[in-house]
Order: sequence, then C-alpha cells, then structure tokens
Amino acid sequence: MNATTAAIAAILGLTLVKATPLIYAALGGVLSERSGVVNIGLEGILIAGAFTSVAVSGATGNPVIGALAGIVAGMLLAAILAFAATRLAVDQIVAGTGINIAALAAAAFGLVLVWHQPGASHEVPALGHTGEIVLIVLAFVAAGALHLVLNRTPWGLRVRACGEDPSAAESAGIDALATRFWAVVIGGAICSLGGVYLSLAELDLYSDGMTAGRGFIALAAVIFGRWTPLGATGAALFFGFFAALQFSLQQAGVPSELLQALPYLAAIVALAGFAGRVRAPAAHGIPYVRPDILAAPGGVRKSSCHSTGRALDKQP
Amino acid sequence: MTASFTRTRAFRDVVVVIVLVFGVGSVAMLLAHVSPVDGFAALFDGAFGTRGEIAETLVQTTNLLFPALGVALAFRAGLFNIGAEGQLVIGGFAAGWLGAQFPLAGYLAVPMVLLAGVIGGGVWGAIPGVLRARFGANEVISTLMLNVIAVLLTTYLVTGPLQQGNAGASETGPLPKAAQLPDLLSDTRLTWAFVIAIVLAIVLHWVLQRTVFGYELRAAGDAPEAAKRAGIDLGRTALVAMTLSGAIAGLGGATIVAGVLHRFNTGLSPGYGFIAIAVALVGNLEPLWIIVASLGFGILASGAIGMQTEAQVPREVVSLIIGLVIVALAGRRVIATMRST
Repeated sequence: MNATTAAIAAILGLTLVKATPLIYAALGGVLSERSGVVNIGLEGILIAGAFTSVAVSGATGNPVIGALAGIVAGMLLAAILAFAATRLAVDQIVAGTGINIAALAAAAFGLVLVWHQPGASHEVPALGHTGEIVLIVLAFVAAGALHLVLNRTPWGLRVRACGEDPSAAESAGIDALATRFWAVVIGGAICSLGGVYLSLAELDLYSDGMTAGRGFIALAAVIFGRWTPLGATGAALFFGFFAALQFSLQQAGVPSELLQALPYLAAIVALAGFAGRVRAPAAHGIPYVRPDILAAPGGVRKSSCHSTGRALDKQP
Repeated sequence: MTASFTRTRAFRDVVVVIVLVFGVGSVAMLLAHVSPVDGFAALFDGAFGTRGEIAETLVQTTNLLFPALGVALAFRAGLFNIGAEGQLVIGGFAAGWLGAQFPLAGYLAVPMVLLAGVIGGGVWGAIPGVLRARFGANEVISTLMLNVIAVLLTTYLVTGPLQQGNAGASETGPLPKAAQLPDLLSDTRLTWAFVIAIVLAIVLHWVLQRTVFGYELRAAGDAPEAAKRAGIDLGRTALVAMTLSGAIAGLGGATIVAGVLHRFNTGLSPGYGFIAIAVALVGNLEPLWIIVASLGFGILASGAIGMQTEAQVPREVVSLIIGLVIVALAGRRVIATMRST
C-alpha cells in the first residue's frame, strides 16, 4: 500500500516536472496565437531562455540574474519574430522556422565561445530545488493569470479582437500591429521561462538539443487545448503525464516511440476535428497589412487592395 | 505584380543574402578570434579545394535540391508544406527497407528503390493533403507534426518489427551493389542523383509554366478565389500538389540512401527539409533558380566542415546564417494563405 502510494506520488511529481516547461511554452503560444500570430518559433525561444540563463548565471554567479537574462533573451527573439510578423508582414510560419534554426545554431556556437567546448556547458550556479518548486507553482499561476487577462481585461479583449479580425479591431481604434507585437513579445517572456526551468532549475547546465522538440509539443498543446490558457495547460499536463509514464509503460511493452508521438498525433486528431470542433482564431497566421501601407509606393502589394485591408487579410 | 517588380525584389533578396552571409559570418568569425579573410578562405577551400571536396559540394547541392523543389511546388500552390524533412525521411526509409529486404534484379533494382522513395514520400505528403482537403486541417501544423512522427515511426520500425541490421542500431541493412546509384565521379560520393535532380528541376519548370496542371496549381496559389470561380477544384489541387511535393522530397531521401549512405539511417538528414525552405525562397520558388540557390547553400554546407577544421570556426555559424536568411526572406512573397476553418 505504502509502496503504491509512493509510486503514484512519484509519477505525479514527475508529471509536474515534465509538464512545467510545456505549460510555459504553450501559454506563450496561446497569447501569441490569440493575437493572430502563429508562433512556430517557440522551440527557438525555449533554447534562447535555456542557453542565456546558463551563460549569465555562469558569468555573474547569480542564478536569479541568469533567469532574468533568459527571459530577456526570449523576449528579444520573440521581438524579432513579432517585428517581422507585424511591421514587415512576412510569412509567420517561414520566419518562425528560421528563428528555430538560428537559435539552435547560435546556442551551439555560444557553447564554443563561452566554454570552448561543443555539446554542453559547464555546470553553473542553479536555482536549486526551491527555485524548481517556485517555477512549477508559477506556471499554474501564469495559466490562471493569462486566462483572466485574456477574458476579463480590456487588453485581453484587444488581443482577441486582433486575432479574429484585425481590420475590424483597427476601425474600433485598436492599434492591431502594436497589440500583436506586444502579445508575441510577452508570450516570448512566458515561453522562455520554460527554457529557464529546463536548464537552470531541473538541471544546472545547457546542452545541445536539450529542449528536444518541446516547443513543437507545446504547439500541439495549444491546438489540443483549443487556444485557451486553461485548455493548453490541461493538454500540457496530459502530455507530461504520458512522458512521466513512459518508463513504466515501456516496461509493459508499449514502444517508447509511440508514447513520444502521442502529443503530435493528438494535435493532428484535434485539428482534423475528430475530437469535436476546434476553431483557431479567425485571422490566425494572416499578416495584417494596413490599407495605407498597401497603397504606398513600394508597399507589400502595389495594386488590387485599395478598397479594404480585408482583401489581403481574408482569403476564402 | 509586374515582372520588373518581381525582378527588382529578387535582386534585392540576393543582395540581402550576400550581406547576411558575409556580414554575420564575419562577425561570428571575429567573435571566435578568426580573421574573416582566413575564415572565408577556409570555407571556400573546404568547398572547392580538391576534387573530392567539389564532389561533396555537389552532393550537398543534390541533397538540398530535391526537398527544395518539393517545397517550391507546394508553396506555389499556396500550401505551406514545411514537412519536407519528414517526407524525405519516410522516402529514405521506404527505399532503404525495400532495397535491403528484396534482392532485386540488376536493371530493376535502382528504379525500384527510387520508386519506393517516391511512393513513401508521396504518401507522407498526401496525409496532410487529405486532412486539408477532407477535414480542413491546416497543413502547416500537420506537416510540422508529421516531421517528428516520421522520425519516431522509422526509428520504431527499424529497431522493432522491420529490423534488418544489428539489434539496437537505428538503420536498415546495407543495400546490395545492384541497388546503389552508380557514381558520377569515381571514388567520390557524387552519383547520378545529381543529374536526376537537375533534370527534375527542368521538368518541373516546364510543368509549372507550360501545362494546364501547372497553370491550375499556380492559380490556386496566387488567387484561390478566382481559381475557384474559374472551376478549379481547390481541394483536388491541394491534394495533388501535396502528394507530388512529398514524392519529390521522398525521392531525395531515396537518393541519399541509394547514392550516399547505401542504407537507411534515421539520422540521414541534418535538416535538409528545413534548409530547403531557405533554398526554395532564395530561388524565388522558380525551379531553375532553385538549382543555383541549392549550389549556393551546398557550398556553405560543405565548406562549413573545412571552415571548422582549418580555421577553427564552429560550423554552426553556417546554420546560424541559414536561419537568418530564412527569417529575412520570409517576406519574399506574401503567399496566399487559404483559410482552413
């Protein structure tokens, strides 16, 4: 009996450990996507948070300063994506893919520059057990806070309006480009905490590939959680639970690859509507281009969009 | 968009790429305490220094050209296929497994192995195509997810039910000599795959510009609403474009297996399917320009090794440059995005 209780407690504890970075990344994704910007770059932002926090903790000897630096790095990387997605109206998916490749390479290059060795950093002062618990609790607090902010505050309403119909939002006096920019940047800050957790709370170093596709699992959690903070958190916990069970299930003969594939399969199933209707924000992934930019010489498109901005925003 | 407008932009993009390559490269080399002159000299020496290195540059060019052509085909149809990586892996697996499993007759072996790659990649591309056409599932997310599933699935198959080689190794058995692509340049890894890739690019150029199918595909991408009113079946076009796109990437995976590795390994691609997005964008989504773009990236990819060994500049610098090129060129075209829900 005692052994069973202990085993269950161990699994639940491991679930929290596995789910926490996913929750942060998924919450960052929800905020960004509800404003209408698809954030494929979550993986890159996790890497930026994980690497920078270790590098700065190693340089200053203070893991808290390291964690803050990790958040700043995540925000900066998100700002690049946000700037490209709003002011340059580039394709968000392609830009996000580039961000991921660049972040992974920059961290690998940084390892050689800072520690003169490829693969992994040295051990640095870490946040320790207390820091880990604080970050786990904070993840759930962040989920509740984001839920309230999105649904109960004027700013949250503006974010959602930009995700559904940016030109209507603009006619109501909302600066859709600025709102989207800040939603992505703040989303980057939240997501980077997942990276900080991985490198500076769960461990005390950065190693190449340590994020291991968690940004993509988080993206799956966003979809499976139907673009809501609480839903995404639930999905992250669900995926975390299976990650925690992996060892036990493997013993029982379930192939580990199948368990690892579960989040991705779940996202596809949800997307295809097999698990009930799932609806993305209507203007999700579509760059918003102001009509006056379109009309200007050298604008994104020279012709055919003078009537309304919607011509570009909404394709059938 | 007028032709001259497109030309100006294409020219500007080339300038952006050159500035990024030499600008970012120089900064990174200075950070690593290497003179950029030495660093780039080592890079070009690594790409062109010897006959073997030139061959290796063309091998990298080939490996990038296939998935880049697949990506370009889908993008032209307005479909964000970012699943070239997964399609390449599945194609490579199908080719490697078939080639190692069945001793095929001499003249049939290579075509059958390549065909297996085409079918494998085509099926993997058709899945998001069907999900899109039948259920309205956004192809971006499904292709992204299928990339990871492809690696996990092939790892499971080669270590589990379809294991051929050593237990625990994530690879198939070796391909018999008959199933290997013949060398184009003796004693190098350069095979006829290079020629196949170039021919494919020319064929694809012709298909896009001169056939009804190519016209419909471009119409679906450039002006979906008008295409629909003109009677083009958007769902069918999407499905065919995704299947073909996956088939081309799968053929690329098969040529890596049959030409370079001579067996399938789950790590056969160091991200060719993702770099291919950059290649396709730099090549302006035009098959013939993509040949040139592949050569450019092939030089970077093979020169990176020389740069690391001769000038002690970590070769990740090249990946960093490629990532930034993708970000910079993401605005290449505001590709018409059809709403999925």
